[in-house]
Amino acid sequence: MGGQNRVLAILLGVLALLVLVVGGLSAGLLLTGRGEQGDTTSGTATSGTTDTRPASGRLRLASSDPITLDPHIAGDAASAEYIVEIYSGLMTIDPDLNIVPDLAESYDVSPDGKTYTFRLRDNALFHSGRRVSASDVKWSIERASSRGLQSSVGLAYLGDIVGARDNFFGTAKGVSGVEVVDERTVRFTLDAPKPYFLAKLTYPTAFVVDKEQVESNPRNWTRKPNGTGPYKIREWRVNERLVLDANERFYLGAPKVKEVLYELAGGATLTRFENNELDVSGVGLQDIERARDPSSTLGKLYKSFPEFSISYIAFNVTSPPFDDVNVRRAFALAIDRKRISEVTFNNMLSPATGVLPPQLPGFTPSDKTYQFNPDAAKQALAASRYGSADKLPPIVITEVGAGAEGRVDTQAFLEQWRTILGVRVEIRQTDAASFFADQDAGRLQMFNSGWIMDYPDPEDILDLKFHSGSELNDLNYKNAEVDDLLNRARVERDPQRRIQLYQDAEKKIVEDAVWLPLYFSNAHVVVKAEVKGWFEAPMVIPRLRFVEVTR
Amino acid sequence: MTQYALRRLLWLPVTLLAVSFLTFTIARFGPGDPVRVAAGQHADPKVLEQIRADRGLDLPLPQQYVRWLSKAIQGDFGESYQQRGFTVSELIFPRMWVSAQLGLIVIVLQFVLGVPLGLVAARYAGSWIDPVIISTLLFVQSIPILVVIPPILWLFALEWGVLPTGGWDGLIDILWIQGVIAIPIPDPHLWIPVSVMTLPGLAGVARLVRVSALDVQVEDYVRTARAKGLAESAVQFRHVFPNSLLPIVTVIGMSLVGVLEGAFFVETMLGIPGIGRFAFESVGSRDYDSIMALTVVLAGAFVVFNLLAELLYARIDPRIRLGAGTRR
Amino acid sequence: MTTQTTRAAELPDLPVAFSSTEERGWFAVFWDRFRKKRLGLIGLGVVLVIYAAGLFAPFIAPYSYRDQDLDRSVEGPSADHWLGTDRIGRDIFTRILYSSRTNLVITAAVVLSGSILIGNTLGLLTGYVGGRLDGAIMRVGDVFASLPGLLMLIVVNASLSPRVIEGVRAFEANVVDLGMVSSGFASYITVFAALSLFSWVGTARLIRAQVLQLRERDYIMAAQAIGAPTGRIMFQHLLPNVAHLIILQVSTGLGAIAGSEIFLSWFGVGVQPPAPSFGQLIQDGGGARTLRESPHLLLAPGAVVTSLMFGFALLGDAVTDAFRGR
Repeated sequence: MGGQNRVLAILLGVLALLVLVVGGLSAGLLLTGRGEQGDTTSGTATSGTTDTRPASGRLRLASSDPITLDPHIAGDAASAEYIVEIYSGLMTIDPDLNIVPDLAESYDVSPDGKTYTFRLRDNALFHSGRRVSASDVKWSIERASSRGLQSSVGLAYLGDIVGARDNFFGTAKGVSGVEVVDERTVRFTLDAPKPYFLAKLTYPTAFVVDKEQVESNPRNWTRKPNGTGPYKIREWRVNERLVLDANERFYLGAPKVKEVLYELAGGATLTRFENNELDVSGVGLQDIERARDPSSTLGKLYKSFPEFSISYIAFNVTSPPFDDVNVRRAFALAIDRKRISEVTFNNMLSPATGVLPPQLPGFTPSDKTYQFNPDAAKQALAASRYGSADKLPPIVITEVGAGAEGRVDTQAFLEQWRTILGVRVEIRQTDAASFFADQDAGRLQMFNSGWIMDYPDPEDILDLKFHSGSELNDLNYKNAEVDDLLNRARVERDPQRRIQLYQDAEKKIVEDAVWLPLYFSNAHVVVKAEVKGWFEAPMVIPRLRFVEVTR
Repeated sequence: MTQYALRRLLWLPVTLLAVSFLTFTIARFGPGDPVRVAAGQHADPKVLEQIRADRGLDLPLPQQYVRWLSKAIQGDFGESYQQRGFTVSELIFPRMWVSAQLGLIVIVLQFVLGVPLGLVAARYAGSWIDPVIISTLLFVQSIPILVVIPPILWLFALEWGVLPTGGWDGLIDILWIQGVIAIPIPDPHLWIPVSVMTLPGLAGVARLVRVSALDVQVEDYVRTARAKGLAESAVQFRHVFPNSLLPIVTVIGMSLVGVLEGAFFVETMLGIPGIGRFAFESVGSRDYDSIMALTVVLAGAFVVFNLLAELLYARIDPRIRLGAGTRR
Repeated sequence: MTTQTTRAAELPDLPVAFSSTEERGWFAVFWDRFRKKRLGLIGLGVVLVIYAAGLFAPFIAPYSYRDQDLDRSVEGPSADHWLGTDRIGRDIFTRILYSSRTNLVITAAVVLSGSILIGNTLGLLTGYVGGRLDGAIMRVGDVFASLPGLLMLIVVNASLSPRVIEGVRAFEANVVDLGMVSSGFASYITVFAALSLFSWVGTARLIRAQVLQLRERDYIMAAQAIGAPTGRIMFQHLLPNVAHLIILQVSTGLGAIAGSEIFLSWFGVGVQPPAPSFGQLIQDGGGARTLRESPHLLLAPGAVVTSLMFGFALLGDAVTDAFRGR
């Protein structure tokens, strides 16, 4: 039996030697290589085809893979981040959050507010060089709302156009509310005057895609889409990197940054930033103090921006004990949100002052929420029809996450409800899929959630979440006054008065304590000094073309 | 032997069928569905209902299973829900390849380092060397990977800045010296994952080798060799060493399957695009087709690798009779 | 996972170091050998101390695991907080004590979930009864064994657990609160019961091989000859002779199971916050940066878990050696 075994043994021995020698050698070389990295004659080249070294006109970012690059399907921020740079639509949002024409040069609104006529730019081209025509717009809208595409967001943004719903549910083919007037003109007809319609058109669902490309390669066209935006895809290696090249023929002028590198794999971004592997990085809880210190290296590069999103605790108003507004108020009054956010999030989030986040039309800085007040909390609970804590039914708060992803602030709230109100609340953590299933079925008594604005209009949060007729009202909340205010705001053509209506609705909603608004979120980033003009918008908007990299 | 192998391979389709059925049943039993997860905060029930209907997700489950099966037999594992526009195969195989490369390096290192350690421990059984080696290795094995990665990252990446914090860039880098000499070196991204995966496994290999070497020491042929007056070093090298390695072959077979499964925690904490992390995300987004494909492919690999290990074992050790122990 | 497979593979080669002609019972022989192993005794001691601390946590702990003090967030060790505090000012020492309580629960859940029982019973059964039943069970076992473990863990946890736990929760809310959900017991037992469905086959094969040898022995033959019922032969004659294998598996396997709690809490298996577990503590303190700012958050629970695992490893090693006659 010796022969074969000896072969095996020798083989293993040789292998061992080889690994040790190569390993030791390369470790040595690696360290010396690091030492003289400034020297251009030596250094390591990566195995990929793309050069990842810092260079002028090259921006290096960390991100994750888009779920899809099909603008008509995408409903998530990660995908939208790329899509808004690669494609464009009739309207867009500028860095100052104004809704401005994009592919359209100008537009007219009919006196009854139901017809919108857009005039396309003459120099609007696809990446391929083909001119964008009115029929491209019509075809794209019809595609986005078609039954075959199965987009879960199509109707959310285009449902106001006459015929879009029929197109989606398959009762009609095409969208009758979109007409090609001539080569450069397209007209939209709405089912009612919708003051927020232009805002909805800024979302990727309304972007223009190339009919010829989509039809010739229906399965794989998004790997290298022929868009109309300021950037085009050079390379996308799933889970590795995505590289964008500037579109030199972009109708608003060629972008200054010629090449944008998204690293899709890798560890902590801030460490890579500090290793000069990235030009921009988010700052997390553990580093925020260091970044805020203006005398530190990081401190000079640190910036923070508000975001259009709110996190909240929601009460199902038909589920005991939250069917009593006094119980909801007691819960709101008994937690010290400001202190807890200070301690658990190191002030990275701003305590919410209401439902509408900062910079959104209608936002006011005055605090409309219930303030921490243990005595008032106890009184509110006593005033409820349950009377005291021991008469409350068992309470479970549900949140998405497990272990490390679970939220420590919820635990702090729990403890305050326990010590101040004497109420025992149990936490139940689930994954997102189970959470949605329970939420849709109305099985959640109380839950932790959040809302990210899709377009900068109060309708996107107040009407969708609190109107008793809305499909997205998941709390069974029904207040005739609120409904009335929201109904009137839907059709109000005077912007000032419309905003006022939303503000009144917001006040009522906060008073009713349907939501316990927790925080508005902020983006915390560090940006290399060579990168000029970088900003974090409160929502996903095209921004790369406003940035410049000089080194 | 060929006959045995064929018989086992004939069972493969039956096994895979059972595996797919089981997975399908368990996965579909739970709450949630891919359409809802993908919709995020925009969940108009009417819209979702129609999408489900158009995708066949509202059909009776048995019918959906048959649908899946008829496609899978033709090698079509379906489309991913979490990465739209990609087939499941396009997504899982590159990731499996990344995990496999990492895992293979780890296995090789584990054996290359673990075997000598085990032999040394066995050689010095009874002296202080043996327990020191074994308990040191056991201690290393006892440190949970979630505990050990942060300090390593902190030291090597943050404090000293000599290694990247994570990510994946293939196996080999080329180091240019003065732009003339090209030396292939292991990619620097490999150091941390490879070491944190290799070290805990050394204890297992070393102990296995040690025990088997101790058993071999007292075998007749080793005694005979000694009695013949063969030098002790020759006895060790020609008889004890090779024969101690026998049980390792089975272990290699087992480990190979683990390699394809990926190292979930290492991949997650170090941002390596491997299959472990992907599997977790697939379940999270209820990407049914990906889950099914993963289970079936991994189960198939398990059967094949195990068979290979058995065959190899039988080839090396003629005392083993394949199929023995079933019924005599 | 790798270490577990290595261990499983280690077992089939074990020679049986106890002959049935030995005058004293195998356990006495084993114990004699075991208690001479210093490392093994140390291991046993470590495990016992940590679990005892967990069991008596309510009496030892200076605070309640939920007591928070927002003014004392993330402090280092001090006189009134021996191991410092976490982000919302909870005492780490207290939370570690309660974590070992949680870890004890997992052990109980594993034993009760049948992880150990199923494999052994089926091994005995198929080995002794044989025939078609043997073939069938072994085929089913092949299927289960080929399922990828980690993936099944994730799927089962996402799919079966919510249903089962909802059931138990409803029962506790309406009938009697046994604390099965809040202690994490329900969650562990679901996952381990499901996992044991996929992992019994290794054990079963091992036991079966042993039984195949045993049933050719004289005393079994004799028992059969006098017409003893199958059940009695299995439990009176066969079981005692494979008991050492079972103990061996338990002692080598428990360490891995106790350690698995750490990653199970990553998937949300186990206790729900604010009740602590080692896994949650380590994850809260994990991250290379947390380590730089406040190392005690990771190192304190990390050291305890490492000691526990090391204790289990030494114990398992000593038990193995004792059984092998060394």
